[in-house]
Amino acid sequence: MTIQAVIATNRFGYGAKPDEINLASSDPKTWLLNQLHNINFNDGLTHSNEVAVYLAKYNQQQKQMKKSKSDDERAQMMQSPDMVDKKLAKQVYSHLSANMVLQAVDSNTSFSWRLLDFFSNHFSVTGQNRVMQAYAATLEREAIAPNLVNKFEDMLLTVTQHPAMLIYLNNERSFGANSKRGKQGKGLNENLAREILELHTLGVNGGYTQKDVIALANGITGWSVANPLKDKTAGFKFVSKGHEPRTQTLLNTAYPQQGFNQGKQMLIDLARHPSTANFVCTKLVKHFVSDKPKTDLVNKMVATWMRTQGNLKQVLTSMLTHSDAWHTEFEKFKTPREFLISTLRALPNLNMNEKQIINALTELGQKPLNAGSPAGFSDDEADWLGASAIMARIDMSAMLANRVKKTNIKHVLTMSLGSRISEHTRLMITRAESAKSALTLLLMSPEFQRR
Amino acid sequence: MQRRDFIKTLSAGLTLFSVPAMSAGLANSSTLKNKKVIWLVLRGAVDTLHTLVPSFDENLKILRPKLVEGLQGKLNPLEKGFSLHGRLSFCHELYLKKQFLPIVAVGSGYGARSHFDGQDYLESGLNQIDHDSGWLGRAIKLKQQQGVAIARSLPISMRGSTGETWYPSRLKDADDDIYSSLMKLYKDDALLHSRLSEGLATEEKVGGMMAEHKKGKFIELAQSCATLMKGNEGTPCAMLEMGGWDTHNNQLSRLDRQFKELDKGLQTLHDGLGDDWQNTLLIIASEFGRTARENGTGGTDHGTGSALMLAGGAVAGGKVLGQWPGLKDEELFENRDLKPTTNTFSWISAALNQHWSMPVSELAQIFPDHKPYKTQLIV
Repeated sequence: MTIQAVIATNRFGYGAKPDEINLASSDPKTWLLNQLHNINFNDGLTHSNEVAVYLAKYNQQQKQMKKSKSDDERAQMMQSPDMVDKKLAKQVYSHLSANMVLQAVDSNTSFSWRLLDFFSNHFSVTGQNRVMQAYAATLEREAIAPNLVNKFEDMLLTVTQHPAMLIYLNNERSFGANSKRGKQGKGLNENLAREILELHTLGVNGGYTQKDVIALANGITGWSVANPLKDKTAGFKFVSKGHEPRTQTLLNTAYPQQGFNQGKQMLIDLARHPSTANFVCTKLVKHFVSDKPKTDLVNKMVATWMRTQGNLKQVLTSMLTHSDAWHTEFEKFKTPREFLISTLRALPNLNMNEKQIINALTELGQKPLNAGSPAGFSDDEADWLGASAIMARIDMSAMLANRVKKTNIKHVLTMSLGSRISEHTRLMITRAESAKSALTLLLMSPEFQRR
Repeated sequence: MQRRDFIKTLSAGLTLFSVPAMSAGLANSSTLKNKKVIWLVLRGAVDTLHTLVPSFDENLKILRPKLVEGLQGKLNPLEKGFSLHGRLSFCHELYLKKQFLPIVAVGSGYGARSHFDGQDYLESGLNQIDHDSGWLGRAIKLKQQQGVAIARSLPISMRGSTGETWYPSRLKDADDDIYSSLMKLYKDDALLHSRLSEGLATEEKVGGMMAEHKKGKFIELAQSCATLMKGNEGTPCAMLEMGGWDTHNNQLSRLDRQFKELDKGLQTLHDGLGDDWQNTLLIIASEFGRTARENGTGGTDHGTGSALMLAGGAVAGGKVLGQWPGLKDEELFENRDLKPTTNTFSWISAALNQHWSMPVSELAQIFPDHKPYKTQLIV
């Protein structure tokens, strides 16, 4: 077993499943390159179009309830079989986001699931209210997973047209001052445009000004969400009556296009911009390889980005084929999500249901889709490795270790960490006073905590 | 009609006869509900020479001068020159009431010194470890009885039966020992090391209250165990575990704390069971013993010969059983450990035979490789 196979499975994958280090060891690089594919969900779980129908019905019923004259009438409505369940939003959220974890646990191509997690966090949405709770988990499944190894602009365009993002950053009611809607008194909201520039593309130091924010915001006015009850359709809806009908100048480039194509061209150009290349590549290296990214590795990826107009498959290939990505210091401290998923992968006998998964991640400080800010969860060690965080992680490890029925510690050790384990750690674990203590120590060992 | 009532009626009609085989069988399973068995595993290999101290043996001082010195004035006398560690004061009370029965120099037959394998062997009760079948599980199944393990997952001991598990949800999972092990584990990772130290310091601060609450996890588990077992409707069989016995260093103070918690837990169990204590057999064992000689860090290392401790109102206690092998160099096992002279499983088998009236044919299914001893263990 080579150390490269340990790196492939742990640094880039979600931790080794039994036998995975063996599978990767003949050619770790190719093993990862073969995982550069999109993820398509055919599991029939809730789609954002269904969420839209549910929310529209819910709102309609709430209005009717308010209008109703007597308690009797209200009680009757409550009894109706058409009544939409209030708890549905939460159920959709829990089911989809826990299912995401379970699929990552089972996956034989966990590097692609790490990529999905990375970009989902890059385009972070938070389930902060009923509407967002219902939509949040659909974004990564519908807009990010199918574009993991496409051009970055494909992902950016799909995300920016997805109801979850449009609603989260208030663009669905953003209308140009000179549009029909604008003349009716509706106005511009720059929230989404600002975050696209600051967080999704150029980065905060990417060289844009407030004028650019306004230009992009105007360019995507009218990018909105259909109401299934009124529009007889669901999903993205371009409201031409709300689109600002003027040429916009973004980053010194004029965009004379009419209608939807104006914003689309702006986003394509942003996706291909050198600042975007630099911002996203640095973030990728920081996430996968090191808190202190080396410029040579980043530069090589940026060059690929510029040459291929942001082809993510090519960019990620540049990362994986660079020697810096394979350095043998394991410095990245796992996020709670990585820790939990890698634990479940290392211990296939350990079954957790959806509720337990959400609870565990909440306890560890990383409730899925709840970063609370469009910037997403931090990728800095300092933000995860606090004193109380580590105490919570120890308790979680002990709890999980207690729940494992059968373990062969030496086997788990070899299968999950291979040749990486230090002699000191190996001795501490194999000499622990019980199988449970040994497993707790293994899960909390520096080798398991860092990748 | 309830089964119990049926049997009562039946036995009332049979008073004139000497007890025939069939009714003996029935009466036996009817009263079994009251005849409780508790199996307590001390994980980590308790140092039994520090528990049931052979004060009469002159060699002890030579083998472990510092430990013997540290035990001065902290011992309660038992018969045959043995002494019981002073922190086990409730156990000593039980001994004086003839409800505590230590058996020295026993071994399960496990030949190596790995905690995991040793525990699996002790729980499985077979010459070849079977992770799906434990001796207590086999016993419960033969008796068509219920058992509960006070644990998060079913320990090997109870596997192969319909044993259930129960664990108090308010309890933290991590044992104190794990923190000191982790501090050692993090010796080369400065950041993990300092964060853990900070975390522990904070818990100390929060924990004037915590220290109060933290009178010991085992005591809480024992309380739960008693609650689940109490009364005729309570489960007749339970398993408890207690860790923290792997005392490679600072054994004097660590075992002081361990024994205090164990003793308090046993008292809690006794008090919680109330009248049921009279019909209870408690079996306490550990995977193996520790080295006869003390090591360089005030502790002892993994050994072989251990002790078995029986307790409960059902036990014919107040004496010390087992054959003492001696502590001279040539009397030690591999010139390092107390030599086991009798077999743990044969003792347990005898106790089940006498307490649960299990016939030899059934005992042979529980411990196929060991026959029960004939010594009286149960009143």
